[in-house]
Amino acid sequence: MFIGTTIYALINTAILALMAIGFNLTFGISGIANFAYGALYVLAAYGVWMMLNLLHLPYLIAVVAAVILNLILGALIYRFVLIRVRGQGISEVIATFGIGLAVLEMFSYFGWVGFEYTLPVLIDRSYIIAGTYVDMQRIIILVFSIFLILGLWFFTHHTSIGLAFRGIAQDERTALTFGIDSDWIATLSISLGAGLAALAALFIIPLGSISPGEGYDVLIKALAVCIIGGLGSTGGVVMASFIVGFAERFTDTYIGSHWTMIVSLAAILIVLIVKPSGLFGKQKELEERI
Amino acid sequence: MSDTQLLKVDNLSKSFGGVRALHHVSFDLKPGELLGVIGPNGSGKTTLVNLITRFVKPTSGTVWFKGKKISHLPPYKIVRLGVARTFQMVKPFYNLPAFKNMIISLYSPRMKQLAGGRYGDRDAVALDLLEEVGFERDAHVAYKLAGALPQGYLKRLELAKAIALEPDLFILDELFSGLSLAEVASIVPIIEKMRIAGKAIIMIEHRLKELFRIADRVIVMNYGEKIADGTSKDVMESEAVKSAYLGTEAD
Ligand SMILES: Nc1ncnc2c1ncn2[C@@H]1O[C@H](COP(=O)(O)OP(=O)(O)OP(=O)(O)O)[C@@H](O)[C@H]1O
Ligand SMILES: [Mg+2]
Repeated sequence: MFIGTTIYALINTAILALMAIGFNLTFGISGIANFAYGALYVLAAYGVWMMLNLLHLPYLIAVVAAVILNLILGALIYRFVLIRVRGQGISEVIATFGIGLAVLEMFSYFGWVGFEYTLPVLIDRSYIIAGTYVDMQRIIILVFSIFLILGLWFFTHHTSIGLAFRGIAQDERTALTFGIDSDWIATLSISLGAGLAALAALFIIPLGSISPGEGYDVLIKALAVCIIGGLGSTGGVVMASFIVGFAERFTDTYIGSHWTMIVSLAAILIVLIVKPSGLFGKQKELEERI
Repeated sequence: MSDTQLLKVDNLSKSFGGVRALHHVSFDLKPGELLGVIGPNGSGKTTLVNLITRFVKPTSGTVWFKGKKISHLPPYKIVRLGVARTFQMVKPFYNLPAFKNMIISLYSPRMKQLAGGRYGDRDAVALDLLEEVGFERDAHVAYKLAGALPQGYLKRLELAKAIALEPDLFILDELFSGLSLAEVASIVPIIEKMRIAGKAIIMIEHRLKELFRIADRVIVMNYGEKIADGTSKDVMESEAVKSAYLGTEAD
């Protein structure tokens, strides 16, 4: 039981990291907390579902189109809405939360909820690992999540362009001094975050079904991971995903599933009391961001 | 404006709420000219820099650069036209080696413009530029973390980042402040070299002696107004300057 719980805790960690990485990337680059993130996640899932079931497009085309649509949508949200309230943190939150709310509630209103709204798994197979049943989709999520985060980390820490990007992210004054349009960087940050939300949905939704509730759920989980890890830090996301991922699964197995949610919330509370900037948060000067 | 002018500042004003930080300031700058800007603390020197580079929006007035009106452009576009600035307070990336601090400059759109998108090995370019501003290559200073460098090197790093943009106008805000006499003496030749290369330079300075020696012309600010404009000698002897600086020149 211990090994099985550990395996599922690892998978849970990967899922949480995948859910949070886009939200975190946006914040790390431009300091914008995109509360429409959950809606963008759900929107991409419904988008793929429609392309598959109504337009009968091939799977690959549908997912590529959904990711591109999310990239564009993210950029539009910045260019048409956020640009006008840029720099006013509360207004940014209200604007993005409002957009998210409108999208999710619209899906609820039209009754797009039910088991038929789901996405196909990539490979329909499963294995017994150390006596524990694990399906291929979860293994793929684990592997993809590791590669995505390592890739992002490598890009931002070991390529010159990534370093330049991080530098700009840390300091708007520097960006402007060297002729870089900081609005363009912010557009890119929301756009990339939205693209990552789509990717996360494509991998994670096949484990369940699409519903507006998923949007709220993803937003809350992304927030939890970012609050615990420290907004904007990749290391923080990984660390926090481990903490929440393991705490949830082990509570589920050894204490009872109705305690699961309490454990994550308790973790948030403890972190907020002990170190409000999160484990890897900004308290250290010029902490590695993104 | 006549085409012998590189920069024309016309009636520039800025108020922050009730504070009149800059009041109807006008001057011209020719290509290759070194203009010093002096004045007591809070007299509006940094505000002038911020208005020219548009980091701060003017309340009124116009700035022209190379015959083009720039006072309505965002800062990043002004940089791309060839205006580079350094800051009074340097903010390097302390956790990166000095030469890696150059990357944002070397990846900037201005760089892409100049090099047609092909720039080759940026690390090598960074090391060359740093050598130019006095990072001794043999001592491998460029590889040290910026956080481990003394102030004199950080100011030179700041200068190298500006040089990398290959601007036609440098605006240097108190480059010499916080430096020892020896450090200032080591930076002066770099500035002379920039002048020989035909660059126009605006230097905001509190170090009057060093500035007067290299400036072609000096303007004096007091309470947001320009109170004198002339050669170093004229300005040094002017009564307005003496009274503005009374008691503050003692550094
Ligand atoms: N962003 C701002 N908001 C409000 N007031 C400002 C702002 N920037 C400058 N000021 C005020 O404008 C005036 C001019 O300031 P400025 O920084 O331009 O002076 P300075 O000549 O550069 O001084 P120093 O020699 O100390 O650098 C000061 O009274 C300052 O307090
Ligand atoms: Mg100043």
